[in-house]
Amino acid sequence: MDVTKLKIRDLRKMLDSKEVSVKELASEYFGRIKQYDGKLESYITVTEENAMAQAESAQAVIDSGKASALCGIPMAVKDNICTDGVKTTCSSKMLEDFIPPYNATVMEKLNAENIVMLGKVSMDEFAMGGSTQTSAFAKTKNPFDFSRVPGGSSGGSAASVSASLCAGALGSDTGGSIRQPAAFCGVTGLKPTYGRVSRYGLVAFASSLDQIGPVAKDAYDCAVILNAIAGYDRHDGTSSKVPTEDFTAKIGQSMKGVKIALPKEFYGEGIDSEISKAVLAAAEQYKEMGAELVECSMPSLKYAVPAYYLISSAEASSNLSRYDGIKYGHRSKIGEDFNELICHSRGEGFGSEVKRRILLGNYALSSGYYDAYYGKALALKQKISAEYDSIFEKCDIILTPTTPSVAYGINENVSDPVKMYKADICTVTVNIASLPAISTTCGYNKDGMPIGMSVIGKKFDEASIIQAADAFEQNFTPAVPKLI
Amino acid sequence: MDLEMVSYLSKLGKLYFTDDELKKTAEEMTSIIEIMDTVKEIDVTYNALADNKNVYLNDLREDASEPSMATEKILQNAQSSDNCFVVPKVVE
Repeated sequence: MDVTKLKIRDLRKMLDSKEVSVKELASEYFGRIKQYDGKLESYITVTEENAMAQAESAQAVIDSGKASALCGIPMAVKDNICTDGVKTTCSSKMLEDFIPPYNATVMEKLNAENIVMLGKVSMDEFAMGGSTQTSAFAKTKNPFDFSRVPGGSSGGSAASVSASLCAGALGSDTGGSIRQPAAFCGVTGLKPTYGRVSRYGLVAFASSLDQIGPVAKDAYDCAVILNAIAGYDRHDGTSSKVPTEDFTAKIGQSMKGVKIALPKEFYGEGIDSEISKAVLAAAEQYKEMGAELVECSMPSLKYAVPAYYLISSAEASSNLSRYDGIKYGHRSKIGEDFNELICHSRGEGFGSEVKRRILLGNYALSSGYYDAYYGKALALKQKISAEYDSIFEKCDIILTPTTPSVAYGINENVSDPVKMYKADICTVTVNIASLPAISTTCGYNKDGMPIGMSVIGKKFDEASIIQAADAFEQNFTPAVPKLI
Repeated sequence: MDLEMVSYLSKLGKLYFTDDELKKTAEEMTSIIEIMDTVKEIDVTYNALADNKNVYLNDLREDASEPSMATEKILQNAQSSDNCFVVPKVVE
């Protein structure tokens, strides 16, 4: 039996019944990483030595009969989540040699569960992009077709799960960065409600939108990981005190009577017809399970992409001002004075997409433009949130495509920033409105590339979207990626 | 977006660009601003009072000292000397 193909809950049973040891399990994954990651390029840093030490501790906990759900489970972590003593590069030359002096709260929580961290996985530089091709170190490929992108920015997380190079992974989602790569790579990715998971130790991109979440083989496994990482954290003033729950609790409950809204704008112009057809077919399957389909509208969707880019870039321009080449990060050899050193360090350390976002943010915030751009974007954030509130008065969950197209060819869109931005149309409103959403595979296009659908929930109702995604997955057989 | 504006924004962002990079970036920024301009079509006003309802800014910890991070950890990613960050000379 190939254990790397198993889900987290099956691995749990095998570890607890001693059918496999933690070290044996970790070794299986490292074997696959050595075999496939040379071409896939999902990992930036592989931490085999640390992992084997963690495996020993996890085994002792299992042997004592006190194993928690993730004890001994081999996981990968996006390279923008701080790991004490392990390089955290954000896929940027700016942080090429950065070793965090502390752990993110999510890492403290996962370490308390005794996970085995296999390594840090690639992403778009500073999480800015949807292809993982802006990474300075590992331009990850799509496991279904190496000539295509895995999506992004959590492309390494999604590709490593899809290729069975880890059992589950952490990603982060600012405008779709967990859900879109999950859709492109044929796996399940969950963006929790804003505030559900602590952002302490997540390298900040856009603080009002960023959220850490799980990527796994299915919704159940996502729920298991979310159970471990959710909860209030005094280190993050925006983390919520809404009590956490067992996110697996609603799994298996009937979909009968559940009202599912289908906002018409998500199925119209700009969305590939194979994708809208596949998601609408999934909606029909929910209907067969007893759910009720509700038609609805989100008139402001056409303004969502610019509103998102204005807000996120404004916040990024401020957040990234900390990289001065002095306290940490790339330090230029050029620079006679203080200002020159900073300008050259940033000029050399940041890639072009990051620079464009900083410029856009400065533009939107600068005198004479603030009201026309940033102020307007904030107003649109409120309008889009109000439109979601109004839809949720008539339904329990919302179903949309995750992406307007399937994974595209490497170099196809990546040099055109405008094309790349427009491709975020299906995901950004969820971050703008602080909602939870999960993407799972609902079909394949004519070339065999995965198609993702998103289930969006009310704030802090992750349990319902996990229930819905799982209900669909129970009747769906996912394809195995070819790894060529 | 003209070169003068990109040059001004790069100064604000403390980003060094070569002349060629600046020219290319100006072209890219022009098409990016074109999409951003669509927000001007809609008449909406931001209500600052309605925002940040869920941010617990008053939830502060007790004002008591707690152990700080060790100096060597803070300096581990920096060019340092005598427990200080090294910067270019800032006084004449």
